[in-house]
Amino acid sequence: MYVNNKDSNSDLCARIIPCLDVAYGRVVKGTNFKELLDMGDPVELAKMYEQQGADELVFLDIKASVDGQQSALDMVYKVATHLSIPFAVGGGIKTLDDVHKFFHAGADKVTLNTMAVEKPDLINQISTQYGSQSIVVAVDVNQEEDDSLALYTHGGSKRVDIDYHQWISEVVDRGAGEILLTAMHKDGTGSGFDTDLLAQFGADFPVQVIASGGAKGPQDFLAAIHAGADAVLAAGLFHRGEYKVGQIKEYLINNNIKIRNTEC
Amino acid sequence: MSLSVNSRESKVAVIDLNSGNLLSLETAIKTAGYSLATVQKPHVGLLTEYDVLVMPGQGRFAYVMQQIDATGWREFLQEWVRNGKRLVGICVGMQVLFEGSDEDPDTNGLGFFKGRCQKLSHPKAPMVGWAKLDSYKLTMKDQYAYFVNSYAISECAFGTAKVNYGSSFSAAVQRGNLYGFQFHPEKSGQFGRELIKHVCQ
Repeated sequence: MYVNNKDSNSDLCARIIPCLDVAYGRVVKGTNFKELLDMGDPVELAKMYEQQGADELVFLDIKASVDGQQSALDMVYKVATHLSIPFAVGGGIKTLDDVHKFFHAGADKVTLNTMAVEKPDLINQISTQYGSQSIVVAVDVNQEEDDSLALYTHGGSKRVDIDYHQWISEVVDRGAGEILLTAMHKDGTGSGFDTDLLAQFGADFPVQVIASGGAKGPQDFLAAIHAGADAVLAAGLFHRGEYKVGQIKEYLINNNIKIRNTEC
Repeated sequence: MSLSVNSRESKVAVIDLNSGNLLSLETAIKTAGYSLATVQKPHVGLLTEYDVLVMPGQGRFAYVMQQIDATGWREFLQEWVRNGKRLVGICVGMQVLFEGSDEDPDTNGLGFFKGRCQKLSHPKAPMVGWAKLDSYKLTMKDQYAYFVNSYAISECAFGTAKVNYGSSFSAAVQRGNLYGFQFHPEKSGQFGRELIKHVCQ
């Protein structure tokens, strides 16, 4: 685990990962009216988060299926030549050829969601050709009215009739290197991560799990890591400027979590 | 500080083994101010034209060795090392400096260092992320480095940095002008950039 004691058999740090939604090569924010608000240049924002102490970044192209890919590939190339930390790219990846283009442009990892469910063989193909470290499968689950958890694709708009637990085991078997686990029922609520969900995939789980959905403050990051998350992803609280990455990290360090300290 | 007579900038060549993206590494070397070439195949002129060879590698041990053998790098690198010239292996590019790996037991490494890679003894594989280096070298001491690997060299007499993941392994090795980094300096933030600048000097 990530508790800082000298008897620990792992020096690995828990990662803090800001997530940026992009469209047409710009960072955007969706609104209730489906309009997109321009939030700025991906390279500048990426560099800002790197300077704040981000351990990694995730870019999700929320319009990739509509737009075609060129603007996304151009963005990936610019980010790769300006950043000195790793980053993952997701959104609109449909084929192994798409994956190749993103890696060629400089991405370190790709993130699959809908296509993982529709063409699960793609996970095996990516893992075989580029290694399991290069593929993150994004698993979106939502708490339904009867309190059961259901699996979703298509940016959270389509329910899939597969048990999420069984699905996570399957993607690990197929070669996913990390799971990005989003609790949709927590996303945007500011009520904290779903720690019960995270606790199902703890220290003995064979790949790392990135917690997503619900962060409001530093204590939520701490709770997610205590519950078993290997990394924590957040968007809103960073983009709105409520917290800098370094402030979250300082809180975690003060609470004895193993964190890459960028303040020295 | 430096009173070096030979103050011209280093000429660095990155070996392209068709094993992973070189963009970040190339950017890091160029940003450090060195002139850079990317080479697919060895040629005798490299020995006089370049000061430093950097060999990144991703993927399986056998794949990287197969690329090295297919393009004639094995003999060239032996010559390069015999001449005392600087060689820097990164990730699997460091692992192949050793004799072999449990990942592909039938494949022979370059054998510049004694020892074999073993699977990391931690339930979560691959190791992905940042770890603090345990090193006596001022360039690496207590710095955080970015790792992506499932295999590593556990013991090496020439180890310059160690990290724990299940058990202790060699994060960096050095013997004379022969350097190996298990982590990715090109992805290790400001520290990594400075390390690349230092090691290509």
